[in-house]
Amino acid sequence: MPGTSNCWHCGESLPQGVDIHARVAGAMRAMCCQGCLAAAEWIEQLGLADYYAMRAAPGHKPDAAADEAAHDAWQNTDNARHVIRDLGDGRRESLLLVDGIRCTACVWLIERSLSALAGVASVQVNAAAQRARVTWLDSQIKLPRILQALARTGYRALPLDARGLDDLRRLESRDALKRLVVAGFGAMQAMMFASVIYVAGNTIEPSTRELLRWLGLLVATPVVFYSARTFFVGAWRSLAARRVGMDVPVALAIAAVYVASFIEAWRGSGEVYFDSISMFVFFLLAGRYLEMRARHRARDLTDSLARLTPPFADRQCEDGFRRVGMHELRVGDCVRVAEGGIVPADGVLLGEHCRVDEALLSGESAPVRKTRGDALVAGSVLEDGPVLLRVERVGADTALANIAALVGRAHAERPQLQIAGERAAGRFVARVLAVTALTAIGWGLFDPSRAFSAAVAVLVISCPCAFALAVPAAFTRALGALARRGVLVVRPDAIQALAESTHALFDKTGTLTEPTLSLADVQSMGASRDALRLAATLARQSRHPVARAIAATDVGFEESMVSDVSTHAGLGVSAQVSGRALRLGRGDFAMAGRPLPTALDDAVLLADDAGPIAAFRVRERLRADAAATVDALRAQQMTVLMASGDAAAKVAAVAERVKVDTWRARAMPADKLAWLAELRAGGARVLAIGDGINDAPVLAGADVSIALAEGAELTQASSDIVLTGGRLDAIAGARDIARQTLAIVRQNHRWALVYNLSAVPLAAFGFIPPWLAAVGMSLSSLGVILNALRIGRGAQSNKTEASAATTPAAHEAVA
Amino acid sequence: MNILLLLIPLSLAFLGFAVWIFFWAVDHDQFEDLDTPALLPLADSKREEPPE
Repeated sequence: MPGTSNCWHCGESLPQGVDIHARVAGAMRAMCCQGCLAAAEWIEQLGLADYYAMRAAPGHKPDAAADEAAHDAWQNTDNARHVIRDLGDGRRESLLLVDGIRCTACVWLIERSLSALAGVASVQVNAAAQRARVTWLDSQIKLPRILQALARTGYRALPLDARGLDDLRRLESRDALKRLVVAGFGAMQAMMFASVIYVAGNTIEPSTRELLRWLGLLVATPVVFYSARTFFVGAWRSLAARRVGMDVPVALAIAAVYVASFIEAWRGSGEVYFDSISMFVFFLLAGRYLEMRARHRARDLTDSLARLTPPFADRQCEDGFRRVGMHELRVGDCVRVAEGGIVPADGVLLGEHCRVDEALLSGESAPVRKTRGDALVAGSVLEDGPVLLRVERVGADTALANIAALVGRAHAERPQLQIAGERAAGRFVARVLAVTALTAIGWGLFDPSRAFSAAVAVLVISCPCAFALAVPAAFTRALGALARRGVLVVRPDAIQALAESTHALFDKTGTLTEPTLSLADVQSMGASRDALRLAATLARQSRHPVARAIAATDVGFEESMVSDVSTHAGLGVSAQVSGRALRLGRGDFAMAGRPLPTALDDAVLLADDAGPIAAFRVRERLRADAAATVDALRAQQMTVLMASGDAAAKVAAVAERVKVDTWRARAMPADKLAWLAELRAGGARVLAIGDGINDAPVLAGADVSIALAEGAELTQASSDIVLTGGRLDAIAGARDIARQTLAIVRQNHRWALVYNLSAVPLAAFGFIPPWLAAVGMSLSSLGVILNALRIGRGAQSNKTEASAATTPAAHEAVA
Repeated sequence: MNILLLLIPLSLAFLGFAVWIFFWAVDHDQFEDLDTPALLPLADSKREEPPE
């Protein structure tokens, strides 16, 4: 929470000489600027001041000018058409991607402030997905008004393509939930009816027994025909494609036991296994459901291309500039990009020079200087502007789209570990079916009356449970245990790959280091004691990352005294502060032609006409848990490596501090891939950890990959595991859990094998009555499940709230 | 044992009802977002009915 010297709304330090206050919930609170004042007053006026008590992170500073421009563009019906869905009867619906939902209080604030608008019919905010679904009456309010209202409270919203409204995923997850619950209820009821038969045995009347069997059939039928339909559909699909997937043995087992039990119920003689089959379906579905939720959640955290490329561009025409939708942009058009704007398409710079932040593409933090004629890449952020650019490539031809394609190709080349397990299960089922057939034939020769029940006993005692549950039970438990630690597993066999990985390849920028720069060293010279405050005052005038790092220091500034500000691209800022002419920036710029002390060559300098006042060195700050993570991984006998596109000196410094021995600097994505291939050729199994888009091919090409959720979005689409809350220290714990999971899967398999080897022959020779077969099967599955529940019990789950971990970083990002 | 003839259909009726209620809940967005609503009631002490 902001203290007394910070803005009550956005948490930034208060500028000196600024005295703005707003009455919030009965008390006067200090504000840093008119924007925050407006936001706070608006929130108070709506009666939503409780937001301040509930929030876990400071609010956003509204950026009125930029938002105003964006909202005007949505006035254009042509642009707005594809983001609005007409629900008929005058209602319209839109899906908004809302930037900066940080805590539940944000959700509450957004829902309430939008609902207060006349004409808004419903608002649904999903914090995990950062999305809001808004319905409104077109006769009373329009979309731009709604976006403006959001902007007033400090949230920037981007309408998503209306096709997102007919969310296939939503249907998928609803469907899965229904199937799961039907199977659960069915299993409970079937078990109840069956246990009466097992416990009471022959003491109950035959007619009651008969009734209980038919009841078992009644409750198991929806489980088989409704809940288990996914397995049948999946099996059919993979058979049609001439493959044997995991669904095939499962579907076969379900169908065989169900049909056998159905015949027995019909004949009224042998045993029925409706309880076993319902339980089997329930456990399998539970595993798949959790896996699906983890997958959806990881996808939700991101909306890759929507955020990387802007929806509009300012195209030059005869009478100035006109805002057009991206789809209207053609090669050869001239577009204008404003300062802080995102380059809409690949093109050539027409202006003199500019600086762009290509971090999303190259993953590296330092902005790149471009001069006339240089190529600009779609998705990069303009640090100073505005500039003109001539469009060279649009849409699917851009470099960004090519990276996405590269990711897709690397995915296709991935060795599929799953196949081995599925083949084994397929072979096992084939053998069981053979043994069942042999049993039936053998008994048919000696004693035909017992043939059917013996065959069913073999099928039940061996077929589905222990073997089929060994993997899903352990994986389900592991997925849950990992999710609680902020580790979302997108691809289930990533658990196996993670456990078996031998090398960890880290990216540097944004992975081992914080995504934002920080001030490393201030060297003050001369008399001026408040050099840092003067520097912060100047730095606030620039968007350069180094300036942001200086401005982010919490020392206050003197906004009211600043005049004659001018920003010199690539050099620095100059301004008059309290009558002194100050310059902040590169050494030669700050000294304005006078000789520069060589010791200060690599520093950012603050100087006035008399000479240098202070020197600043900016450094990437290591993540607090980086060294501990590397240590923990090494303690697990992993080889830790690092690759970065940065200069060797910077990489070496980081490597030394986290104690990574092997690293490569100036590595382009292709170099990293080559290194990866080299390592893998040497027998290593590589775990890649990264966050920039240039990592995407590397992440996709590694044996298993982990992405940090605050990083660029595309990476997550191509990574197997996503870390939320940017906590690296979860990696070692996750690997522990993965290894434990594999160990338990192996134990489960061994146990199932021993059980089957001892029970199947007995069943085949008719020594085991079918009811004992059913009990044996239930007990063996119970053993498997209880064993799986041990996963993640040993290590204490780290209870640090994700919000607490992200707050300082998020704070700096807005500062 | 005749009581079974009453109790079992009754339990099945309950079961059917429970499944029906659950399906209704799923179809009415009750399981869409399990994280967000947790904190909302805490601040609902005054003013404003929820929208709709």
